Amino acid sequence: MKYLLFWFGVLCSSSVYAETFHADAQYCLVCHGSNAQGNEAISAPNLAILPDWYLSSQIQAFQSGWRGHQTTDAYSKEMMAVAKSMSAEDVKRAIGFITGFQVSKTPETLTGDETHGKTLYQTCAACHGAAAEGNQAMGAPPLAGQYSWYLLRQLQAYRSGQRGAAENDSRGAMMKQIAATLQQDQDLNDLVAYINTLDIQKTNNPKTDIKK
Amino acid sequence: MTNPDHKQINNKQLSRREALLLLGKVGGSAAMLQAAGLFGLFAAPVQAQPELVKLKPLTAGRKTVLILGAGISGLVAAYELGKAGYQCKILEASHRAGGRNLTIRHGDFIDELGNPQFCHFDKDPDLYFNAGPARIPAHHTAILHYCREFAVEMQMFCNYNKNCYTQDDNAFGGKPVRIREYEADTRGFFSELMAKSIQAEAKLDAPFDDIDRQKLIEFCKAYGDLSSDFTYEGSERAGYQSGGILSPGVLKKPRAFADLLQSNFWAGAMHFGEISDQAAALMTPVGGMDKIVDAFLSRLAGKVQLKAQVQKVQLLPQGVEVSYWLDGQLQTEQADYCLNCIPAQLMAGIENNFPADYVGVMRQLQRGKLSKIALQAKERFWEKEQIYSGISWTNQDITQIWYPSHGLFKTKGILLGAYSWDPAISDRFSAMTNQERIAAAITQGSKLHSDYGKYIDQGNSVCWQRMNHMLGCGAVWSEELLKTSFATIQAPVGGHYMVGDQVSYHPGWQEGAVRSAWYAMESIQQQEQQKQRQVAV
Ligand SMILES: Cc1cc2nc3c(=O)[nH]c(=O)nc-3n(C[C@H](O)[C@H](O)[C@H](O)COP(=O)(O)OP(=O)(O)OC[C@H]3O[C@@H](n4cnc5c(N)ncnc54)[C@H](O)[C@@H]3O)c2cc1C
Ligand code: HEC
Ligand code: HEC
Repeated sequence: MKYLLFWFGVLCSSSVYAETFHADAQYCLVCHGSNAQGNEAISAPNLAILPDWYLSSQIQAFQSGWRGHQTTDAYSKEMMAVAKSMSAEDVKRAIGFITGFQVSKTPETLTGDETHGKTLYQTCAACHGAAAEGNQAMGAPPLAGQYSWYLLRQLQAYRSGQRGAAENDSRGAMMKQIAATLQQDQDLNDLVAYINTLDIQKTNNPKTDIKK
Repeated sequence: MTNPDHKQINNKQLSRREALLLLGKVGGSAAMLQAAGLFGLFAAPVQAQPELVKLKPLTAGRKTVLILGAGISGLVAAYELGKAGYQCKILEASHRAGGRNLTIRHGDFIDELGNPQFCHFDKDPDLYFNAGPARIPAHHTAILHYCREFAVEMQMFCNYNKNCYTQDDNAFGGKPVRIREYEADTRGFFSELMAKSIQAEAKLDAPFDDIDRQKLIEFCKAYGDLSSDFTYEGSERAGYQSGGILSPGVLKKPRAFADLLQSNFWAGAMHFGEISDQAAALMTPVGGMDKIVDAFLSRLAGKVQLKAQVQKVQLLPQGVEVSYWLDGQLQTEQADYCLNCIPAQLMAGIENNFPADYVGVMRQLQRGKLSKIALQAKERFWEKEQIYSGISWTNQDITQIWYPSHGLFKTKGILLGAYSWDPAISDRFSAMTNQERIAAAITQGSKLHSDYGKYIDQGNSVCWQRMNHMLGCGAVWSEELLKTSFATIQAPVGGHYMVGDQVSYHPGWQEGAVRSAWYAMESIQQQEQQKQRQVAV
């Protein structure tokens, strides 16, 4: 793994140290896995597949309490607490650090009607891309390479209004509307089973190798 | 039955069946108590295991060992293997060694993710709190072996004090009641019921004969402090209402049995001190549990690398390779053996080439959730209430209040203002800031001690499921998983061993951590002896 860890020197200033004690962003890996690939045992998703603009938008969402505040689930509260304890510098440093990892994912086997999922996915493709590679213009993240347990939980969260319902969360609101149309749990499952068959893409970070 | 209050239970109408039903409920409560889990979910008594680890000195060659995590198990391993001539190095991710063995005092940093805190308790050797382990029972002979070997100064630790309170919002108008009183009265009424229902039977079923029957009735009398006609009329065990020294003691009026049963105390906390790991007499190091860690560290100079976060563990055809972050750079080292006490739920997220079933077990272990809140009191107000050490219990989220077993009669003291093992409660505390947690602890504690808030200076809190490099208070094994998978995780893969209390039937206790390390080291020794034999052939 090749890193250019230029931010380490810059940010070891004593104020940051005193505020968070974390002079680096390695603590993201404690929850999200050593390659930012996600860790089911902690319920923390794959970050390595996510582009900088989306990482940034979601840290903002957690910091503003759009994600995590009204929720009952402990997972988003956990990430919200972390985001809220981060300074603007911390966020910048963390995003630089996370986007430096090669994308990877622990293989999952998922049972579901992939053909049906593919049909349903046509609606999603408009925003998330045909290969679920994400689309910055739409604010829609890549889904390929994300864990099924996480995708399912998010779709349920949008559907129940735990995500995407906060007042200023316009991107979340967009996705919430879509999720509302997916009433059948089986549909969610089939969709996710189909997404699970797609190869990991990483379009925004051409410097990193793609490994699956 | 003397029952001055309303809601009389007329025992004459209670058939033996009903009495036994009641008994059954109480029996059920013992089951509930076990289910409540407390900490040390597996409350099965530990057999005395007097044998100690005995490693023979290495005779041939140089053997290297990488130890991942400076938890108690890692420290034990480095110490013992070092003595036997192995070259050891501990890689520890945190800024401190000790893992869950954590004592908080003036100036300490609490590395809770999303809620970093510093401790501002006064600088005073008595003003500390054990955020993790706090007590050691006598049958935990392995951890006590090191306390003895290192001459760690020990004191007694009190878990059970009859002068503490039980408070339940659903009983006695939410007012606290001394445990002394609650226990004397419940036992009294319970014994009376039993004695009278046994008397009412013409004949007891086998195996009781007439002599047994008389003994059983006498047992009830002794157990409940009944009067000569087997009635409970109050007992000095509950403490006197007045007098007792220069004037005759006046008994307290017993509380109504029905009221006593309204409280949930009988269903769990009342029997806490009966659990083998929690029963008197317990011990703790003077000055904080981390004195044990200090004792190890003073014998491991130069062997512990702090702030070294393991990133990758690779099994090699011979030995193990470990990569870790140090000062922003990735470092790589190889060794013949690797002992790993990184919590399984974190190890599941660390790159490795372990067999699928081995990591599979790590993924299935659940994160335990425990929270503790410590409060610095300006004045030891509890001493004025005749409380010196012990635990008060409440059905509010704070669950317990611990009074220090040390520093008697000093001005200030550190209370444990909350200690809960219910995951839902821990979720609620973890969603709060430190200030909110302290405020909640004070509000709830005020139901046990009036003017509570007036005495509290400040506080700190630790939610173990959020602590950096831990993210849990300990591994939670389901019974099923223990049956199917314990052996998988206990066995080595090549030169790699998982250790820690997570690889014991006693997670949540340092004893489990020490013995897991001993187990692994003995296995390493066997591997070595085998190799030597092969060379000799
Ligand atoms: C609230 C609470 C109360 C308890 N009460 C008692 C009690 O009264 N009596 C008792 O005997 N026991 C008690 N225990 C249990 C006791 O704390 C544990 O059994 C013991 O400390 C566990 O030691 P361990 O060796 O398993 O390692 P741990 O303490 O789990 O240490 C693991 C180590 O691995 C390190 N680590 C994690 N990730 C990495 C990485 N990537 N790279 C390098 N290092 C890493 C961690 O920082 C940590 O130091 C209690 C625990 C808790 C939480
Ligand atoms: C204490 C554990 C923990 C730590 C530390 C942590 N995270 Fe998270 N993170 C989570 C969990 C759990 C979720 C899932 C939340 C949910 O389900 O709503 C999450 C979600 C996220 C998401 C949303 C991903 C998506 O697909 O929408 C981002 C982005 C993120 N984390 C970034 C980070 C970064 C960057 C760091 C380091 C600064 C970090 N996290 C540290 C636990 C953690
Ligand atoms: C109109 C555009 C649009 C369409 C169509 C759309 N999405 Fe989204 N989706 C988004 C946006 C924008 C976000 C990010 C929202 C936020 O910030 O919370 C998102 C987020 C998500 C997330 C959360 C991912 C994460 O990492 O947390 C999932 C899962 C998801 N979409 C699945 C789907 C599926 C499945 C479909 C088809 C049924 C779909 N989306 C259709 C715009 C869209």
